[in-house]
Amino acid sequence: MSILQTIDLKKYYGTEPNITRALDGVNFSVEQGEFVGIMGASGSGKTTLLNCISTIDTATSGHINLNGKDILEIKEKEIARFRRENLGFIFQDFNLLDTLTIYENIALALTINKQSANQIDGKVQDIAGQLAIRDVLAKYPYQVSGGQKQRCACARAIINQPQLILADEPTGALDSNSSRNLLETMQDMNRRMGATILMVTHDAVSASYASRILFLKDGQIYKELLKGKHDNRHFFNQILDIMAELGGVQDDVR
Amino acid sequence: MMYAKLALRNVKRSAKDYAIYFATLSLTATLLCAFLSLGFSSDIIGMTENMSMLTSGILALSVLVALIASFVIRYAVRFMLGQRKREFATYEILGMELRSIQRLFLIENILIGAGAFLIGIVLGSGLSGLLAIFVKSIFHTPHNYSVYFSLKAVLVTMLLFALMYGSGLIQAAKIIRRKKIIELLYDEKKNEKVKDKSIIRLVVSGVCTILEITAGVLLLVNGLKIQTNVAMLFLGGGAGLLLLAVYSIYRNLPFLLIGSVHRKKNYLLHGERLFLMGQLKQRFNSVGKTLAVIATLLTVSLLTMFAGLTMGAGYEANMEAYYPYDFGVAVDAPLTKESFDDVISFVDTQSTVEDSLTYYLYSAGTYGVEALSISDYNHLRYILGLEPKTLRQDRFLIHCDTWIYMEPIKSALSESATIELAGYKLQSSSEEIFTEPMEQYQMAGTKGYVIVVPDEVASQLPAEKIRLVCKLKDGGTPALKNDARTNLNSGKWKPTVQPGMEIPEHATLGITVKAWGIANSLTGYTTISFCGLYLSIVFIILSCTILAFEQLSRMETNRKHFQVIYRLGVDRQQQKRLIVQELSGFFVLPLIVPSIFLLFATIGFHKFFGEAILQANLIPLNAGITLLIFLVVYSVYFCATYFIYSRTVTAESHNSH
Ligand SMILES: Nc1ncnc2c1ncn2[C@@H]1O[C@H](COP(=O)(O)OP(=O)(O)O)[C@@H](O)[C@H]1O
Ligand SMILES: [Mg+2]
Repeated sequence: MSILQTIDLKKYYGTEPNITRALDGVNFSVEQGEFVGIMGASGSGKTTLLNCISTIDTATSGHINLNGKDILEIKEKEIARFRRENLGFIFQDFNLLDTLTIYENIALALTINKQSANQIDGKVQDIAGQLAIRDVLAKYPYQVSGGQKQRCACARAIINQPQLILADEPTGALDSNSSRNLLETMQDMNRRMGATILMVTHDAVSASYASRILFLKDGQIYKELLKGKHDNRHFFNQILDIMAELGGVQDDVR
Repeated sequence: MMYAKLALRNVKRSAKDYAIYFATLSLTATLLCAFLSLGFSSDIIGMTENMSMLTSGILALSVLVALIASFVIRYAVRFMLGQRKREFATYEILGMELRSIQRLFLIENILIGAGAFLIGIVLGSGLSGLLAIFVKSIFHTPHNYSVYFSLKAVLVTMLLFALMYGSGLIQAAKIIRRKKIIELLYDEKKNEKVKDKSIIRLVVSGVCTILEITAGVLLLVNGLKIQTNVAMLFLGGGAGLLLLAVYSIYRNLPFLLIGSVHRKKNYLLHGERLFLMGQLKQRFNSVGKTLAVIATLLTVSLLTMFAGLTMGAGYEANMEAYYPYDFGVAVDAPLTKESFDDVISFVDTQSTVEDSLTYYLYSAGTYGVEALSISDYNHLRYILGLEPKTLRQDRFLIHCDTWIYMEPIKSALSESATIELAGYKLQSSSEEIFTEPMEQYQMAGTKGYVIVVPDEVASQLPAEKIRLVCKLKDGGTPALKNDARTNLNSGKWKPTVQPGMEIPEHATLGITVKAWGIANSLTGYTTISFCGLYLSIVFIILSCTILAFEQLSRMETNRKHFQVIYRLGVDRQQQKRLIVQELSGFFVLPLIVPSIFLLFATIGFHKFFGEAILQANLIPLNAGITLLIFLVVYSVYFCATYFIYSRTVTAESHNSH
């Protein structure tokens, strides 16, 4: 069953003649339980696409169906509610509140979603155990490492069991060791917890953890790559080939 | 010239940061100018002979105001530098010299200062006209609105303003010089540390606070009972201790509140409360001493305004009690009644005398109190428009218009209701105490109360003090007091002494004139209440400015926080609600303890002075007025802060169209 589907999605900035076609007719769909990567050169529209899907930005035209509902038709008043019930987010700069402990940061996602207080502790402890951040629950974000912060962000993103988790360059601020750790965590969330993930990245290593990759170019889907039964290594090389084809991303490859 | 342009553009662009700063500067200048114009206006000073009291009061307070304002301005300047360090660092990286950056900031601020000053002069001159109307209506003088422009006031305002503003700018120049680029650039990235205070420290300072309050209250209560100047020491010490208590309370209260909320997990884990608590906790942590200082300032401000209004109004309400007689002379010497015939005829040349009474204050032997004869007493009552009393031959009565003596007198009577005077035994009871205002420190007694005895008894007592009271047809004029004094001291007046008596070494002569008294106690009233009002309004404005800046200095970090919860699914409306709650928490908390103090001050004042002040409910009324003025100023700042803060914090960071 496809959980997300974009139809002829367009997002233009500015007006003629200075118009930027950040998204110029994007069509793709994501199945339940998939881990999809989105790659593309800088300025190819990745963040714009994610922002449109996440209802933070409004598309110029087209449709985005999430779980059978066109999110462009949702009324302004219900957007926030829709977001907290259906979407989870992981961002490059962690986006944790430095005023709250790790525990409270995770719990916040639940309380905002009107979960009753007596269920919260169990859920937080459970997810923290799975993501190996139980030891740091009582600490504040400035007291823990970048990797731990990002896993806290993951915990917060998944704790409401959203239909879709959106991640924008989640490894961007991490060293390669923590990156690997985080990507394994995300893969785990995808495989064991059944989370559907849509991850934007410009980094081939990160992308190779996904099960399918969409390449964006000039605001359109340029190519699609399936991992299938290949191992990470093979998949990685395939990604590099397409990136070479696309050009412009080469510099970013480690 | 290029700097001027750049500076002007910067001012325009950061108008939002500057708005509250500018408003505070303008308001301070306005108040300085308005009150100084009032104090310097010959129109007002000429109203009564001791009106210059108001001028000196206002002048002294203005210096104090400028001093305190200069601290706030330094604070504000630091805030604005903080907001703009990135911009300055960029200039520096682009190769602009430090001197030039300093000059840029200076020019910007001089533009702002000059603007605020001009606005202050215009608004201040206008406001002083309103204040003058107030003053004149207090004196029941006919009044029309007119602008009170005074060059002297403008010059003094300019001097004070330049002093307080200059100190802020020097501070800014220093900061810019000291900061390194790297600090300027990366300062913001430092993580805000959220500390929890240790329980032991909280308990210790809690105990200290309680001790401070207890000692402060004890000193105050005892100070009020003392009649000598030592009372000042007690009252000052008590007030100081209580202010210290306010300070200590606010060093800990926020943490106690948040700590206790944090222990209630079920309360916290509900909706956006977790977020709100985090916001407040961070705020109270970073604000530290400032909040305590603000709360202390607010306490001073509330109490000053309240005390000023109450004491001022008390003065007015009590004037009738202090000056019940149109004209009166008190001589503490055994003169003959005939001596005063000349005085009465002199007064009659000034204002027609309708009625007059010359009477003795007899000394009641060992009882240490004076006695009046019943017929003199009833004549006094008649002059005051009171109905007469009757007295049997074997009885006496007491007149006491000073409420603090009521209890002692009643208990003395209940012990023994009989006195013996010149061989007569007289009896009384607590039903025979009368309390109408008669002025019992000079005219109808000198001890705060007198006993009234049958004429037959009085005639047997030594008549050591003599009094004259006149009722005048037109009520008399303030000038009568001086004229009468001159006349009595001119040597033309030849009093005679009762046979067999001698004039004591230091015979004192007092003159009381109602018209003069009223005019001058109104001056006291005006001075006290205007000075109180002046000081406290400036204090509120300055406190609010600090609060606003504290809140606004967190804007950037908080914008990120609100973005996070926006993504977590908290809509804009809910965010606005959260901002109101956060701001309320921050603005209301420092007001709680001062309000409690105001409440206690109201109750205390009412208890101690309530009966002394003749107008019922004057004290609660003034507490209400105080709170009202306070809330108006406070909410203006609250709204301004809310407006600026919420606009920035909930600004959509993404590109929605
Ligand atoms: N607010 C905006 N206004 C105008 N152009 C924008 C805006 N945001 C993004 N763009 C343009 O849209 C294109 C896609 O941007 P973005 O989605 O951020 O790319 P990516 O994340 O792939 O680097 C870029 O050309 C960018 O300049
Ligand atoms: Mg991007």
